Amino acid sequence: MIELKIDNKMVAANEGETVLQAALRHGIEIPHFCYHPCLSIAGNCRICLVKVGGRPKLMPSCNLAVAPNMEIETDTEEVAEARRAVMRFITLNHPGECGICDKAGECRLQDYHVRYGEPEPISIEPKSRKPKFYDLSPRILLDNERCILCGCCVRFTQEVSGSHQLGIVERGSHARVERLETGAFDDPYSDNVIGLCPVGALLSRDFLYRSRVWYLEPVRSVCTGCSRCCSVNVWRRNRHWHLRALGEELNRTAYRVTPFENPEINGPWICNKGYDLHRFMARQRVLQPMIAGRGASVEEALAEARRLLSESINPAALVSAHASNEELAAFQAALGPRLAVYSREDYRPAPGEAVEDGLLIRGVKNPNSYGVQALFGHRPYGVINGHDLLLVWGDNAEDTSFDGARVIRLASFGTQQEFTADVLIPVSTTFERSGSFSNFEGKVNRFDKVFDKPELVQHAGELFGRLA
Amino acid sequence: MTEPRVFFNFEVTADSHTLAACRERSGYRALEKALLSMAPADVEKEVTASGLRGRGGAGFPTGAKWFFVDKKSRVVYLCCNADEGEPGTFKDRWIFENSSHQLIEGVLLAAYALNVRHAFIYIRGEFDLPYRRLREALTEAYAAGLAGERILGTEFCCDIIVHRGGGAYVCGEESSLLTSLEGFKGYPRNKPPFPAVKGLYQAPTVINNVETLATIPWIISHGGGAYAGIGNQNNCGTRLFGISGHVNRPGLYERPTGYPLKRIIFEDAGGIRGGKALKAVIPGGSSTPVLKGFEIEQVSLDAESVIQAGSMLGSGGIIVIAEGTCMVRLLQVLTRFYAHESCGQCTPCREGSAWMDRVLGRIVAGQGVKGDLESLESVTRGIMGNTVCALGDAASMPVASFLDKFRDEFAYYIEHGRSMNDGRLEV
Repeated sequence: MIELKIDNKMVAANEGETVLQAALRHGIEIPHFCYHPCLSIAGNCRICLVKVGGRPKLMPSCNLAVAPNMEIETDTEEVAEARRAVMRFITLNHPGECGICDKAGECRLQDYHVRYGEPEPISIEPKSRKPKFYDLSPRILLDNERCILCGCCVRFTQEVSGSHQLGIVERGSHARVERLETGAFDDPYSDNVIGLCPVGALLSRDFLYRSRVWYLEPVRSVCTGCSRCCSVNVWRRNRHWHLRALGEELNRTAYRVTPFENPEINGPWICNKGYDLHRFMARQRVLQPMIAGRGASVEEALAEARRLLSESINPAALVSAHASNEELAAFQAALGPRLAVYSREDYRPAPGEAVEDGLLIRGVKNPNSYGVQALFGHRPYGVINGHDLLLVWGDNAEDTSFDGARVIRLASFGTQQEFTADVLIPVSTTFERSGSFSNFEGKVNRFDKVFDKPELVQHAGELFGRLA
Repeated sequence: MTEPRVFFNFEVTADSHTLAACRERSGYRALEKALLSMAPADVEKEVTASGLRGRGGAGFPTGAKWFFVDKKSRVVYLCCNADEGEPGTFKDRWIFENSSHQLIEGVLLAAYALNVRHAFIYIRGEFDLPYRRLREALTEAYAAGLAGERILGTEFCCDIIVHRGGGAYVCGEESSLLTSLEGFKGYPRNKPPFPAVKGLYQAPTVINNVETLATIPWIISHGGGAYAGIGNQNNCGTRLFGISGHVNRPGLYERPTGYPLKRIIFEDAGGIRGGKALKAVIPGGSSTPVLKGFEIEQVSLDAESVIQAGSMLGSGGIIVIAEGTCMVRLLQVLTRFYAHESCGQCTPCREGSAWMDRVLGRIVAGQGVKGDLESLESVTRGIMGNTVCALGDAASMPVASFLDKFRDEFAYYIEHGRSMNDGRLEV
């Protein structure tokens, strides 16, 4: 523990910490662009300059190690003048196009401009021109005019994802972020640079112009892309801004997915599959209970399922790896003793998908495989076991492998095969319920409900009691 | 010549740069003396006693710089900063072309003192003849057993690696030189950590200028005390001064420190061309603040005296400006240079140097407006002291000093759209 004084306030800092980190931890705001806790110190934006007692020059607080009895001042006129000067330089060639910029509303440059900048520019020079608004990759747009060259995206590809696909080329005021020699920016973690960018230079093509961010609010959820179970924020339309007439379906749309910082599991990053989670959830849904391919009410479908279960001699259940821990507990309590239980993998790696790497992506492409195995063991289903009734819970099961057994399906997403089941009951997706998954390390990660479920869709956890 | 000479002590001929010629003028004697009869600490002691100060521009005492390095570290690197790019400076070039062996000897002596196994010479990419001369000299030195393994039959080994720069002025800044040497884009590093603690490949590193290192053989041969006896008290020894601009005999002059600035311009360099009056002097390379003609009366060529006059001695590149020169256009030449050479890493320098250049470009094109000078001044204030390396200061100091001292010329140019001095300069 090191004691130092920041703005006449005694602050306890850890050894090896920087002044900026200590200040931020204690709620003292020091503006910063190029600093990120998970990246190396660049010290190039110069907005975090502070006054250190006994030193003539202002020092960048991001690169200033704490020392005992240090006296830091962050709100003197000298510091304010330096911040104004740096804001003047940063905004010198930054286009004033917040009105059409997706970052507006969550842009640090915008915030700092209000807080530390000057209302009127002193420059009368035309803004410099740079490559604008072009595809860095099929996922990301780059606007070099908006870029303030903090280098966060470059450092991310060098230090976190390790792809080294971005760099800053040219020097002086011609400097700009570019793809490097490899040509592509197909890093499986590439979308993180969008959130990392303190301004609107890197934009998601998926989210582009879909909404202003102040209409949206984040809900904490969990990515179901693999057994890492990264924490994510799912952005839905803020209740206050719900559309009441046209476009009501937008109230039930997940606009985008961003990482939710969870140091236990994923840190501040997720992979591109996580950024696409809302598209995964937006696939065609099963919304109508059916009996032998014909529409039925929920009660009828449940009655039919109960009948099939009671008539069966040797029933089995194939348990979804997308089931939450709470649903699994409900299943085991209600039906566990009566059925032979098999674990199943709803999804397998898609062709071309990154299978496993050292950072986040895991080879098992379902969120709760480990939760299922912890309860029921690792038991893949095989035809030879001769069951006459199968309760198939989850997506993507091959009809052909059931070999004549009768099938009760609990499914969220609809493809042709679900409609041929004897009984089909639609169940809710991760976005429509709250619960928790156990990731591959056994860490439990909870998720909140983002949307209400559609009327005829059931929560699987509430079904099993009614089936028993 | 009565005064001692460290560099200009021989006649330059077609083969005066070779090892044989160098040996004739007692080259590598200092190395022999040091390796055979002195401990590394003794070499350092002599250098400290000599009062030698860095010749690259900052003027930091060399002995102190060496003292800060942990010589017990498993690896210590020595880098010779030969990225001489400061406009108005051309002393290292002369050393390479005519006396490369003197530098090699100095590098080896420093390496011996600092326990260095690998020394690097980062030479400016545009240097062609200097580079070839250095290579020739190194080949000769290796063949003669003066570099590499077991130098002069002793246990001391030191390899000298030559690296050619890629043409960036900023790589003359010591930390970006290291970054460039490591193979990265030449971005200066934030300090701390200083190179003496974490330099090249994160090892303790000493970076010395060419002239500094090339002086060390003389110090070892004649003793630190003898060197300290030359010149005045805090600025020992002799220095190479490059005079350029409107003088009759521009060139490189070796003079003891404390030598009158006026004398070097009017006597040694033969006065102003065409007999014109002296308008201004930039005393230490283009980045140092300008001095008006009358301000140099009492100035002598040592760091303190020049600082007292309001400028810096820097790298000793004296740029002489005759009456009739347009200071506005001259300043634009300088701002264009710094805008072009800013590495673009940190915000104030990247944006500010280009901003100043655009404003000046506009003024020179006759499109200056009222308020331009004030905004230029606010830009210089915003840059100064707020950047990662000294290039920001170097870019803003000339602007600030030109505006301070020749404001009327700028005001005239803005008001009339043309220079006060149009058509009157005949040099």
